[in-house]
Amino acid sequence: MLKLTCFPTFSHFAVDSHIIMSKRKARDAHLPVGECIKQVQQILRERFCERRLPDRLEGVEAQYKHLLELLRRTAIHGESNSVLIVGPRGAGKTTLLQCVLRDLQKEEKVQKNLLQVHLNGLLQTDDRIALKEITRQLHLENVVGDKVFGSFAENLAFLLEALKKGNRSSSCPVLFVLDEFDLFAHHKNQTLLYNLFDVSQSAQAPIAVVGVTCRLDVLELLEKRVKSRFSHRQIHLLSSLNFTQYLERVWTQLSLPDSFPDKKFAQEWNAGVKTLCEDKSVEEVLQRHFNSSKDFRSLHMLLMLCLSRVSVAKPTIKPADLLEASRMCFADTTANMLHGLSILELCLVIAMKHLNDVYEGEPFNLQMVHNEFKKFLHRKSNSMYNFEQPVVMKAFEHLQQLELIRPVDGSSAKVQREYQLMRLTLDHSQIMEALQKYPQCPTDIKQWAMSAFG
Amino acid sequence: MECVHIDFIVCFWSSRNEKENWKVHFYSFAISVEGLSKIIINTGQDIFIEGCDEDNPYVAKVTRLYGDENGQQMKAVVQWFIRVSELPVNKLKLLGREPHPQEIFYYECRNCDNEVNVESILRPVKHLDSNDPFPDSADKDTLYVKLSWDSKVFRVVNSTVVESPAEPAPASSPPSSTPRGPSRRVLPTPDHAIMHKASLGEVGCSSVGTPANVEAESLHSATKLSASKCLSAKRRNATARTPGVRKRLELSSECLHKDFKMQPLCRTREQQGYIYISNTKSSEVENEKSPMVTETPRSSKRKSAMLVSSRIKKQLNLLENHQDPNSSGEEEDEFVPSKNDLLSSSEEEGQDEDGPNIDDQVSAKKFRYVATGSRNSRSKQKSYSSARTQRRTPAKKISPGTPQTPRHATPSIPIRSLQTQQPANILEEARARLHVSSVPESLPCREQEFQDIYSFVESKIVDNTGGCMYISGVPGTGKTATVHEVIRCLQHAADMDEIPSFHFIEINGMKMTDPHQAYVQILQKLTGQKATPDHAAVLLEKRFSNLAPRKETIVLLVDELDLLWTRKQNVMYNLFEWPARRHARLVVLTIANTMDLPERIMINRVASRLGLTRMSFQPYSFKQLQEIIMSRLNKLKAFEEDALQLVSRKVAALSGDARRCLDICRRATEICEHSAADPSSTGLVGMSHVMEALNEMFSSAYITAIRCASTQEQLFLRAVITEFRRLGLEEATFQQVFVQHQALCRIEGLKPIGVSEGLAVCQRLGACRLLLLEPSHLGVLQRIRLNVSQDDIFYALKAD
Repeated sequence: MLKLTCFPTFSHFAVDSHIIMSKRKARDAHLPVGECIKQVQQILRERFCERRLPDRLEGVEAQYKHLLELLRRTAIHGESNSVLIVGPRGAGKTTLLQCVLRDLQKEEKVQKNLLQVHLNGLLQTDDRIALKEITRQLHLENVVGDKVFGSFAENLAFLLEALKKGNRSSSCPVLFVLDEFDLFAHHKNQTLLYNLFDVSQSAQAPIAVVGVTCRLDVLELLEKRVKSRFSHRQIHLLSSLNFTQYLERVWTQLSLPDSFPDKKFAQEWNAGVKTLCEDKSVEEVLQRHFNSSKDFRSLHMLLMLCLSRVSVAKPTIKPADLLEASRMCFADTTANMLHGLSILELCLVIAMKHLNDVYEGEPFNLQMVHNEFKKFLHRKSNSMYNFEQPVVMKAFEHLQQLELIRPVDGSSAKVQREYQLMRLTLDHSQIMEALQKYPQCPTDIKQWAMSAFG
Repeated sequence: MECVHIDFIVCFWSSRNEKENWKVHFYSFAISVEGLSKIIINTGQDIFIEGCDEDNPYVAKVTRLYGDENGQQMKAVVQWFIRVSELPVNKLKLLGREPHPQEIFYYECRNCDNEVNVESILRPVKHLDSNDPFPDSADKDTLYVKLSWDSKVFRVVNSTVVESPAEPAPASSPPSSTPRGPSRRVLPTPDHAIMHKASLGEVGCSSVGTPANVEAESLHSATKLSASKCLSAKRRNATARTPGVRKRLELSSECLHKDFKMQPLCRTREQQGYIYISNTKSSEVENEKSPMVTETPRSSKRKSAMLVSSRIKKQLNLLENHQDPNSSGEEEDEFVPSKNDLLSSSEEEGQDEDGPNIDDQVSAKKFRYVATGSRNSRSKQKSYSSARTQRRTPAKKISPGTPQTPRHATPSIPIRSLQTQQPANILEEARARLHVSSVPESLPCREQEFQDIYSFVESKIVDNTGGCMYISGVPGTGKTATVHEVIRCLQHAADMDEIPSFHFIEINGMKMTDPHQAYVQILQKLTGQKATPDHAAVLLEKRFSNLAPRKETIVLLVDELDLLWTRKQNVMYNLFEWPARRHARLVVLTIANTMDLPERIMINRVASRLGLTRMSFQPYSFKQLQEIIMSRLNKLKAFEEDALQLVSRKVAALSGDARRCLDICRRATEICEHSAADPSSTGLVGMSHVMEALNEMFSSAYITAIRCASTQEQLFLRAVITEFRRLGLEEATFQQVFVQHQALCRIEGLKPIGVSEGLAVCQRLGACRLLLLEPSHLGVLQRIRLNVSQDDIFYALKAD
C-alpha cells in the first residue's frame, strides 16, 4: 500500500490521482523522497549503532536514579564512592552511565566540578599502561604534551601523592570509569584497584570509582583486601522485559521522531512501521529473536539489516525484509563453509562423521579417514573418486586450514601428519544440512552420509 | 673500597681541667686514603661524616678528639649540623622559605649520640654563618648556617652557641683552606670599618664569644689564629667584656707555644706539611710563601692539583699587586662569598669608605678561586662521578634520559571551582560521619590493642632501641587505623616533650609496583632523595649500620607485608634485620592479614628476625560494631535502635568487617532518603531500609540473572543439567549439551536453533559466568561447566 504512494514519483503511469495529489503536496511543502530516505537512514542508523543516547531510559529508572544520586553526591559533597554496574552484554550498562553523565553535566554545580577518567580493561591491559592513561587524562604535572614521563613506580607514587594531597572540601572530585572492570582484576596484585578503592575509603581527594562489567561473579575476583575496600554497591541491569514490551521497543526504535522535517513522510513511515509490527510473520520472527536473546544489540543488528534494504525505490520496511534479515542473522556460518568444499573434501568429512559415530567422538587421523573412504569406494566399486594419497592429504590439510577439523591438544608436532589425531568441529546436523544444500551432490554420497554404517 | 690510614699527628696533651684524664686527647689527625694525599682534621674543624647518602654526608664540627687508653679506638666528639635534606619533609614548611641547597642548621637535639668513630670522618668542610642573603656562588663545599633546629622549631642561631668551644678556624684544613689562609693575611692591619662591624656583634665565624666551659678544646684552633685575628678578637672581647673569652685567649697562646714544642717529636709523614701550616698560621709574616703551602700537603700528585695551585698563585700575585689593606685582617671577609653581600653589609653599617669596591671585587674573586680549588680537590677524593655530586637538592621527579621531564612536577589534583555543600539534613550528616574515610575522634573497641602497640612503640622510643612487631587480622578490623591512632598519640606526646621525638614512615606493599620499591620509598621518606632500588638498599643498609648514629628513632609501618615477599625474601630480611642493629633505632610495625604469615611464607632466618611480638586483631563482634556506629554517629539520631542491631549482627555473622558495616548503614540512609516521600516513614532509618540495603549488598544476582535470561538461555541451562545427569559428570562438551538442547526445544514446542545460534547462547551465558567455558575458538568441542549450583537453577526456573 505504502509502496504505491511513492512509486508514481518515478514511474509516470499514475494509478491513483488522489495519491499523486497528496504526494505532490508533501513534496511541495517538504523534501523530495530521496532526501527523506537519506534522513531516515541517518537517524535510524545513529540509533542502531548507539551513536546517539536515548533521551530517556526505559525500564531502568531505579538504577538511573541510584547512579545519578551517587555521582552527584561525589561532585557536590565531595563524597567518595565506588560502585559496580553489572549486567549481561548489550543490556545498556554503558548507555546508562553515559546518560547519567550527560544529565549530570547539565547541572551547573556539577559541570566544572568533576574530572573524568575513562579506562577500558581491553585497552589498559596492565597497571603500567592504566597509570599512564590516568595521569594523561588528569593532566598531572608529569605530563608533557601527550607523553607521561617516569617509570611505573614513579608514576604510581606520583599519582598516589597527588590524590593524597587532596582533601574532601578543596580538591576537584575525580570520576574513574573502569570499563570491562573484570579485566582490571587480573592485573598483578590488583594494585590499581586496591589503590583506587583505598583512596575512595580514606580522607583523600574525593573520587568515584564506577566499574562496568558483565560478569556476575566479579566480586569473587577481587582480592580480600580489595574487596573489603570496595563499598559493595552493585547496580544490576537485568532486563525483565516481556514480549509485548519487546515489540513496543521494536516499534519505537523504528519510528521517526516528531522533529523529522518532512511531517507527511514521517507519518507514512510510522504507519508503515505499525503495520509491520502487527504482521503475523514478523511477530514470529521477533518472537524467535526474543527467545534467543533479550539484548537490544542483536535486535539493532536485525533492524539494521532491514534498514539497509530501504531505498528510494522501496521507501519502507516490508515483512519480507525482516524475514530475510532474520535468516541472515541466524545463518549457520560453519555449515555455509561446507558448501564451498570439493567432493573429495566432502567425502572426507562424511568419513569422519562415520568414524565419530563408530568410535563415539574419539579422535581420528588421516589414515583412518582414508581407510573409511576407501571402504566406501570399495563398496561402490567405481573408481570415480579414486584419489592418490597425496591428493587426499592435501584435501585433509585444507579442511584443517578451514578449522573444520582441529588437532587434539597435546598431540605433538613430531607425529607424522598422517597419524596426527584430529577432531571434527562440526555437528552432524550441520553436515546433513549442508549436504541437502550442496549443489549437484552425487546421490551415492548422500546415501553414504545418511546410512547408519560406514 | 679504599684503604684508609689514620695517623695522629699531635697528641698527648694532658687535660688537667678534664675529668676524664684517662683519655688520650688529640689535637688533630690525618686521614690518608690510599692513592690520595692526606687530609688533616683538627679539633674545631667542620667535617663531613660518612652517612647513608654519599652525596650528602653528615656535617658536624669536631669538638674533641680522643682515643681510649690503649689507643685502639679513636673517637671524636662532635657538634652536629643538619642538612636540609635530612630534615623531615613536613617540617620544612616551618622554615617559611625555600631552603638553600647548601644550607645547614645547627642541630640542638639532645637525644642524639655525639660521639663518632674517626673512621667515619670523610673530610673537612667549611661553613659560614651569616645573616646575609645566600650568595649566588655555587660553591659546593661551603655550607651556610643561619638557623638552628631542635627537631621542632627553627631558631635564629645564637652566635655564642654556635661559635662555641672549638672555633672552627676553617683555614686549618690544608686542602680547602690553604689557598685562602695566606691571602687573607696579606696585611694584618685590621680595617676600622669591619672591626666596628664585628664589635657590633655580627655573627661571624670568628673565634670569639666562646664560653669558657669548653675552652680546652679550643686550643688548637687558637694556634691557628693569626695575630690579626687575635687582635680583632681581643678588641671585640673588649667590647663584649666577656672574661671567659679573655681567659681562653690566654690559654690559646699557651697552646700555641706548646704546639711548636711538640712538632719535632712527631715524625709522621705528613708532619712537614703540618709544621708548615702551623708556622704559617702562627706568624703573619709568611704570607708570600703560601703558594708553596698549597702544594706541600697534597704533594701535587695530580694535574688538577697543580692546576689549582697555579691558579691560586696567580690569584695571590694579583692580590699582592692590589695591596689593599682593607681586604684582610678580618676573617669575615673571606667568607663573604659575593660582592653584593659584602656591599650590602657594609652599607648597612653606614661606613663611608674610599675603596670598598676594589676590596669587594678582590674578595669576591678570591672566594671564587677558593671555590674552584676546593671543588677540584674534592673531586680527587671522591671516587664517583661528579655529576652525581652536583645534584644536591633531591629532585622530586627524575626520569633518566628524558631531558624534557618536568623535574619539579608537584603531584596535585586541581582545585574544585565550587565549594562543597555542607550536609543539609540529619541523614546527610549521618552519611558523612559514617563514611569510612571520616576519621573518628577515637577508636572504640580497640583499646587493648591500642594500649599494647602504644606501650611497645613508646618503650622502644624511650629506650632508643629498635624492634619488630607483627600485627595480623582480617580486612576491616582496624589494624592500620589503630596504628595510626597510636602514632598520632605518640606524636602528640613528643610534641609535649614527654618522649623523645621520632620519625614516622609508612609504606604499603600494595602501593608499590615491586617489593624492592620498598627501599626506594623508605629512603625517599627518610631523606627525600631518589635512588634506584639497589642503590637505595645500599644507602639504607649503610644508614642503619652506621657508626655515627645521629638519629631520631624511626618508626616504620609496613602495611600489607605479604606483598613484600620475594623469592629470596631479602626485602623482608632487611626490614627485620635493621631494627636489631645496635645503632639503628628502628621500630618496625608490620601488618598483614594472616595470623601465621611468618610460619607460612617466611624462611626461618626471616621469621626468626621478626621475633615473637605478635598481635592479632579479632573480627569485630556485633556489640563492637554497634558501638563503632554509635560512636561515629555521636548521638545523632538517624537510626532506629533495632536497625543498627540488625546491621551489626548481620555483618558480625558474615565477616566482622567494619567497613562493610559502615557501607551498609550509608546505603540504608540513602534508601531512607528516597522513601522519605512515604507518609508512614519516620525520617529515621528503619528495619526495612536496612533490610533492603543488606539484600542489595549480600544477595547474589545469579537467581535474578537466570530469571531474566531469555528462553533459549534458560533452556540451555536446563540442557546442561540434563546432560550432566546423563553423564554423571559435572562437565560436558557443547556438542553433547546441544543435542539435549535440541530435544528440549522440541518438548517446549520451540523451533530448534542452529549450532551458531546455540553457540551464541552459550557464549552469552559464559560472559555472565553462569557457565564456565573453554576458549570459544574450540567451537562445538568446548567443554562446559556450571558456575552456579543446579539447585539454584531449578529454584530460579521453577518459580518462573
